[in-house]
Amino acid sequence: MMPAAPLIILAIAVAVLLAVIASRRSHFAATGTAGFGLLAALASLPWAMHAAAPALPGLFTFDSVSLGFIGLILAASAMILVIGYAYWQKAKLPREEFPLLLLIATLGAAALAASASFITLFLCLETMTLAMIGMIAYPRDRPQAEEAALKYLVLSGMSSAFILFGIGLIELATGSLGLADALAAPASPIMLAGLAMIGVGAGFKLSVVPFHFWVPDIYAGAPAPTGAYVAVIAKIAVMAVLIRVQATGVTLPEGVVTAITAAAILSMLIGNLLALLQQNFKRILGYSSIAHLGYLLVAWLAAGAVARVAVVFYLVTYAITMIGAFGVIAALSSGAAGRDADQLADLRGMFWTRPALAAVLTFLLLSLAGIPPAIGFIAKMYIFAAGIHTELWLLIGTMVASSVIGLFYYLNVIIVMAQRPGEQAPLAAATAWSSRAAMAALGALVLGFGVAPQPLIALLKAILG
Amino acid sequence: MSGGLSLVLLLLIPLVGGALAWPLGRRFPAVARAVCLAALGLDLVVTIPLLHGTAALAEPGNWLANYDAPWIPAFGMDVRLGMDGIAWLLTVLTIILGMFAIVVSWKEIDEGVGFFHANLMWSLAGTIGVFLALDLFLFFYFWELMLVPMYFVIAIWGHENRRRAAIKFFLFTQGSGLLILISIFALAFLHQSQTGVLTFDYFELQRTQLNGTVAYLIMLGLFIAFVVKLAGFPVHVWLPETHTEAPTAGSVILASILLKTGAYGLFRFVAALLPAAAHQIAPVALWLGVASIFYGALLAYGQSDLKKLIAYTSISHMGFILIGVFVFNALAWQGVIFLLIAHGVSTGALFIIVGSVQHRLHTRDLDRMGGMWTDLPKLSSFGTFFILAAMGLPGLGNFVGEFLILRGAYAVAPVVAITAAVGLIPAALYSLIAVQRAFHGPADAARKVPDFGLRENAMMLALAGAIIWLGVYPRPVLDIAAPALGNLLPVAQTAMLKVAGR
Repeated sequence: MMPAAPLIILAIAVAVLLAVIASRRSHFAATGTAGFGLLAALASLPWAMHAAAPALPGLFTFDSVSLGFIGLILAASAMILVIGYAYWQKAKLPREEFPLLLLIATLGAAALAASASFITLFLCLETMTLAMIGMIAYPRDRPQAEEAALKYLVLSGMSSAFILFGIGLIELATGSLGLADALAAPASPIMLAGLAMIGVGAGFKLSVVPFHFWVPDIYAGAPAPTGAYVAVIAKIAVMAVLIRVQATGVTLPEGVVTAITAAAILSMLIGNLLALLQQNFKRILGYSSIAHLGYLLVAWLAAGAVARVAVVFYLVTYAITMIGAFGVIAALSSGAAGRDADQLADLRGMFWTRPALAAVLTFLLLSLAGIPPAIGFIAKMYIFAAGIHTELWLLIGTMVASSVIGLFYYLNVIIVMAQRPGEQAPLAAATAWSSRAAMAALGALVLGFGVAPQPLIALLKAILG
Repeated sequence: MSGGLSLVLLLLIPLVGGALAWPLGRRFPAVARAVCLAALGLDLVVTIPLLHGTAALAEPGNWLANYDAPWIPAFGMDVRLGMDGIAWLLTVLTIILGMFAIVVSWKEIDEGVGFFHANLMWSLAGTIGVFLALDLFLFFYFWELMLVPMYFVIAIWGHENRRRAAIKFFLFTQGSGLLILISIFALAFLHQSQTGVLTFDYFELQRTQLNGTVAYLIMLGLFIAFVVKLAGFPVHVWLPETHTEAPTAGSVILASILLKTGAYGLFRFVAALLPAAAHQIAPVALWLGVASIFYGALLAYGQSDLKKLIAYTSISHMGFILIGVFVFNALAWQGVIFLLIAHGVSTGALFIIVGSVQHRLHTRDLDRMGGMWTDLPKLSSFGTFFILAAMGLPGLGNFVGEFLILRGAYAVAPVVAITAAVGLIPAALYSLIAVQRAFHGPADAARKVPDFGLRENAMMLALAGAIIWLGVYPRPVLDIAAPALGNLLPVAQTAMLKVAGR
């Protein structure tokens, strides 16, 4: 069972956390327990990687790739936990269940990244999604959060239904629920229909065009830490499955490749164009994440050894910068307030009122825009290189053009921050030391890997083989 | 590796200086300014001794210093820096005019002092990096690093129409940046397909075997991008508005330094990197240069905004640069380097003067100036001096550069040289008109504003001294540039013989 250690530790941590909450309601204790569980799972990874015997074969695959993704998910969750702690500190709600929901969702996401059968895939996906709905609706005194949660519940229920139907069709065609068996089976109409339905579900989870409509509403309605979670963790987990599928060397049918190409192009263009029109920073991030998923699909379509590192490098970059950007919103807001400080007007004058936070956000935005010296520049170059290598000229051309559009609204946010402060009082008076430390760490990562990306590249190459 | 560490320091000092100034600017604006000034001073101290160094780069040529360390081995990208005479001259120009930019904003910028200086310093660091990079990807990295902070300087601290100007600047620079990027990647992957090695090393890529069309397209991407940066006709449209709306320090850096990166790019990454293709486009480039000279001069003549007038003269002068680069001739190339420096000094001074006029009269409109000589004699006399210098008055720096270019061009393309020389007539016209409208005639109204103080007088005297020195004793600059041109010219000339079929 050694390779499954991270998942087992997470499951134990969930049980322990329940016991802790039952015995004494303490936000600090609950967050501490969850954090300890995440870190313990993270610490068990090197150990799990060296284990020889497979665990739960047929249900999960624990190799260096899936364990690497689990590591990324755990680290990102821990970061969101830290950001959430300060955010909820003043809230007049029972605060202890937020770490619990986060831990359960992380268990689902981590297991999803390693799933090898349609059964585990669906169970993990639902574990993650249901816990996330709770996280979205967590501030129950905010109508927009309730609305977002309900919207997510309905839409993700529908996409789950698509996936389930797709799984049923594939099982009908191949007689097996194993991912590997399904992919090795010859293409038949039923099989293709099943793949298409799963594609719709996956497209919804990844929020690529044309399944992107929910993103801005839910990012804007959800409290900032949840926003980060929905934007990052769910997408890493689903991309992990896609990348592992690709690593098996399966060749997708022509039609599927065309469909994904179209989705990538539309995501890049529509995401960046619609972001231009937004006045709400969370909605900007929502549309921006649609565009970034388009970039990720470009690298995924490029396939090959270079591209595989490029995808994961970009995912790491995306995780760091998105968590950072939502983290800034969280640091400016409080779970106690009726809304988050997510209007562009709320960011006005940050260079004067919150210079350090504004500096971090500047570098995060440069990273999202793909400008040196931030890590996003290197990540984008990596995808360019992968795309040019495999001569995906149309995709690369679209990526180039749409990133120019993208630059526009990212830089605009920086200019808003540099304007004279507005009259309205800031929503949160001061930033807790824990968020300060988290933001400083994220800023350092963005800048550090942007100047010297080689250590990260080497690490990813070692993990991806 | 001789002097290599100095090159790294040269880049790090302004970066760190900017990073220090940012937090300092909030409570201690004066300290932030002083830190930036000190950082640039230190940078100068690092640069000067490099002049007498020699470095054995693996490649032939006259290099003063070089540095090479792996950066992203996965893509064959190195931190490969090299300094020759041209890079040295332009680096010194960058540092000194950067210092002027900081001094000039001492009184002008009082909001967001820290972030302003951070942007200024990072842009300067990026510019120095552009002059030193010998790895194409590193070059692009610095290119972006130079432009993005400048965008903030314009968009945040600019004049009335700053937003529009910043967006224009941004679209043109990012568009041309993408052209550079595509050309660089295309060249690198082409090289990889021939040799199996992915590298962005300048010297390795120079050896790439290129057939006509592909080479021409790669060259065209770089050529357009650098001509945009140089603001040559017809891709100059971003320049007048950007230079006009930027704060004085921004205009100084834009006109005196950033324009030069376009010329430098044409030298190093078009003429010397892709010489055969560069020769193919030379006739077009020469006539674009002539068009720029006339177009810039005529539009300058028609302006009533003094700052815009100076911006248009830059277009005219850059036309000479374009001609000088594309005649592939040692004399003209000497002239180009010389004009780059002289233009940097004279235009920088002019923008500083316009900035102080605006600070005092709150207008840049020539119709509302008039008669300044009676109220502001020092400002007006310096203004006249630098306008005459920019016009190309013999005995002052710009004349030497323009003369060398025309002399060199005459040997290769006499028609172009003669036409360009005719362009000096409208230059005299707009210069004299500007002097007359701004400084002479009856005053609009009695003005109670102070004339140049000690700080401004000192700046002006230093710049005027430099222009006179360049004009009467050009030898040292030419001597520094000469061996460096040897790094570029042989490659270009051999290629010309190939094109000519000899």
